Amino acid sequence: MTRLPKPQTEEPPAESPRSIGGINIDPVPATDLGKKSVARSLPVHRPPGAIDEFQFLIGCTRCGDCITACPYDAIFKAPDRLGNIASTPIIQADTSACMMCEDFPCIASCKPGVLVESIPPVMGTARVTEHLCLAHHNTTCTVCGERCPVEGAITVADGKPTINEDTCTGCGVCRYVCPAPENAILLMPAFSRPGRPHV
Amino acid sequence: MSQSMQTLSHDRRQLLKASALAAAGSLVTGGSLPVVQADQAVDDLPTGEGMSWNKAPCRFCGTGCHVQVGVEDGRVVAVAGDKAADVNKGLLCVKGYHVGGILYGKDRLTEPLLRQEDGSLKPIEWDEAIKIIAKRIFDSPETFAFYGSGQWTIPEGYAAQKFMKGGLSNNHIDPNARLCMASAVTGFLGTYGVDEPAGCYQDLDECDVLITWGNNPAEMHPVLFSRVTDRRSRGENVRIIDIGTRRTRTTDAANDYLEMDSHGDVPIALGIMHLLIENGTYDKSFVEKHCNFRAHPESGKTLFGEAISEDEFRKRIAEYTPERVSELSGLSVEQIRMLGDLFGDDDVKITSLWCMGMNQHTMGTAINTLVHGVHLLSGHFGKPGDSPTSLTGQPSACGTVREVGTLAHALPGGRIVANPEHRQQCEGFWNIPEGRINATPGYHTVKMFDQFTIPTDEGGDITTMFVQVTNPGQTLPNLNKLFNDKKNLADKFLIVSDVYPTPTTELADLILPAAMWVEKNGIYGNSERRTQQWFKMVDPPGDARDDTWMTIAIAHKLFEMGHEGMKDKDGEFIFAVKDESGEEVPIWEFDRYYDTNVDKHLFEEYRQFTTMKHKNLAPYDEYVKARGLRWPVVEQEDGSWRETKFRFSGFDDPFVAEGEEFDFYHSSTKDGRAQIWFHDYEPPPEMPDDEYPMWLCTGRVLEHWHTGSMTRRLAPLNRAMPTGYVEMNMEDAKAANIRQGEKVIVESRRGSCELPVWIDGRGRPPRGTIFVPFFDETKLINNVTLDEHCPISKQPDYKKCAARVKKLSEAES
Repeated sequence: MTRLPKPQTEEPPAESPRSIGGINIDPVPATDLGKKSVARSLPVHRPPGAIDEFQFLIGCTRCGDCITACPYDAIFKAPDRLGNIASTPIIQADTSACMMCEDFPCIASCKPGVLVESIPPVMGTARVTEHLCLAHHNTTCTVCGERCPVEGAITVADGKPTINEDTCTGCGVCRYVCPAPENAILLMPAFSRPGRPHV
Repeated sequence: MSQSMQTLSHDRRQLLKASALAAAGSLVTGGSLPVVQADQAVDDLPTGEGMSWNKAPCRFCGTGCHVQVGVEDGRVVAVAGDKAADVNKGLLCVKGYHVGGILYGKDRLTEPLLRQEDGSLKPIEWDEAIKIIAKRIFDSPETFAFYGSGQWTIPEGYAAQKFMKGGLSNNHIDPNARLCMASAVTGFLGTYGVDEPAGCYQDLDECDVLITWGNNPAEMHPVLFSRVTDRRSRGENVRIIDIGTRRTRTTDAANDYLEMDSHGDVPIALGIMHLLIENGTYDKSFVEKHCNFRAHPESGKTLFGEAISEDEFRKRIAEYTPERVSELSGLSVEQIRMLGDLFGDDDVKITSLWCMGMNQHTMGTAINTLVHGVHLLSGHFGKPGDSPTSLTGQPSACGTVREVGTLAHALPGGRIVANPEHRQQCEGFWNIPEGRINATPGYHTVKMFDQFTIPTDEGGDITTMFVQVTNPGQTLPNLNKLFNDKKNLADKFLIVSDVYPTPTTELADLILPAAMWVEKNGIYGNSERRTQQWFKMVDPPGDARDDTWMTIAIAHKLFEMGHEGMKDKDGEFIFAVKDESGEEVPIWEFDRYYDTNVDKHLFEEYRQFTTMKHKNLAPYDEYVKARGLRWPVVEQEDGSWRETKFRFSGFDDPFVAEGEEFDFYHSSTKDGRAQIWFHDYEPPPEMPDDEYPMWLCTGRVLEHWHTGSMTRRLAPLNRAMPTGYVEMNMEDAKAANIRQGEKVIVESRRGSCELPVWIDGRGRPPRGTIFVPFFDETKLINNVTLDEHCPISKQPDYKKCAARVKKLSEAES
């Protein structure tokens, strides 16, 4: 598995404001009242290669082909209680994580093209909750680092794992395998994803 | 086979989460459970409506961590590390945090099952099952064998021992610890004349150097290893030296990694002794005052050997120069000199740890005595932090097997069947007629199963075997020779008591459902001589019952049938228990079994045996109060009981004479001295060759315990470690064109096993070696291993045999 870059958002972010000790020293830009605000939705853990959520919901036909195509049963139909995303494909790493196949059969199976190969397969990001992690309790445990399918996403130093958020794809394998009494991996879906590429 | 745990209700799960990393000291118990007094008041465990907490040692390894078990509505709902426990101080390993779940796998055995003609299993009543067993024993008592375990509680092992040796006059009783601890036992006996370590876990808190001899405590005894890594994180300087045949998680934490060839430990130990003598850095005064030299006589190998002079020892050891040791062991001359200098340094405290790497060894007894010898010769002995310490794999390998003596040659309290005085003492304690105990040792494990799987008309003289708390169908070496043949032998009868279906129950003719862990009372004894008691907290499922009860019920059925051996001198039942009014309690009826505490009766009877070898135990009630006590436990003038941390050392051991610094009071030479042994190096019995070019080593993984029959039913552990695998070196895999994850065949002259490949995985074996864990019941690597064993301890060598790895495509062609 090669190292994957983070997805490029459509507009490159402005340079982050300069700060001293966390205190902003740049002038605050004026509010642009002409700019439309985007409808807000809760982030959803989508299969790899999913396009921007707004476009995804418009494009996805709820056909279930990606669910059938996944060799690891990692993709589910979202339950009805989730309102407007009901029946769309989601990943629940606690039950079965995305195994980051090299050829992404889910993407290949998507006819409406809401899962696409041309954007990086980044579903979200994971983080180690240190006070729950057994290795951080000084007992031996290295499962997440061993089973992570993305090279370089988890580094183990001094027996303790850290997740490199620039490399992590949010596949959820580490969350799925974590044997701590209370799961020590916090898995967050991507807050925004790139839009449908212009072909 | 379903491996998932029953789901817990939402708030239970919350509670489990909330409490899992919490820990307990004092607790309030409800119902009939006794109140456990806390050594310190730590109480941050949630106590919901009707929730009660009580202590128990963990069910898994020999470390002996204590857990607090939370019970609600007759179900174990939470487990927490016990802060009041000296062993683990609230910490647990990844297995321990989930130990509560082992009771609730979906496929628990809940009724006795009898194999029918067509191979199916039919549920039967307990009465019938007990009758079938009793009849088979009654008809042929001398061809009956009892195979037990280091997971037997002390009372279970004691009952089995008394039933066999004191009842049936039959010594065919042996435990799975023969596959695990036997070489450590013979090592201690050969060196000190008495079994079990002199030091304790405190050595880990005080050593400057920790040497792991073919041992991987980071994964197998993580709580103990964290005691050492913890010290480092506090800024203490602890040097860890890992001597091994492959890189492991322990190597990751080690300052020095000395990679040796298979069997290299023997020459390394000899090489260290050579340098101590050559450089004159051995501890002259310690050796002069407290040691003798010993070797095997010309006539053959014996446990106690014969005396040799110091000059003779010097002459023989002189041949193990660093250059020669380097050739034999694969270490460099510098590395060997480094070890020699280290042991020659009086200012550092050195603790050696070992486990299966030294015990599962065709020179197991030799390497054990040699490592003790290195410590004795260098004087790194008997002070906190200076200690040769063996670790155990099972929770009561020490407490039950080694102390109760459930071995083919042993009797309780360090006695042996071959010694007429010992037999007499036991007959006295048991109040049985003189001469009832058989003087001939029974069959050791490998021999026992060999005799069981050889057809009767070809001399296979074991026809009925009772297996409790262990899984030989997965753990015996060379399964095709020692176990799998049972399938085709109609007249051999296998009885298995277990909690889940296993490869062993697959061939069983009668399966008995057992109660486990906190579904019964129990007592374990851990690696540091610590005896630990717990009470029953929940009922076993369905018709599952205690192993002790099974043994007593079978004995009573034989008693009813008129078997003379089940009567004592006065004609009473050998397991008779009387209540306060002198009435016998019918403990052979299961609904009356808990009318009294049978564990306590058996334990109090067994205690009498322990004083001969100065392994004194306190009364049962003292263990109820404590988180275990390390024997010898001696009563003080004020009526309290004091445990012993360092045996043979004057500053701590009550049995060392006043003013003496050291006293090996069970010395085999009867002069208060320990033995420093010499052994010549012998090559392994099977070496890689053109046909089978790889060394195969088997072992364990952190997430699963032994054969996985318990841990494989815990979803979190199974997710973390879902399958057995073969660990390969990257270069070997490239040369054979094998890819990561590919399924291959590992085979030897004895059998084969199909496994996925893990290249440079958790452990990194050097070129020409492969490693396979044995926990996976669907991938029995013991079809491949060798049943060669140490001539003295009879313990098989699972760590080295010649094998080859084949691609599936090659295997099919």
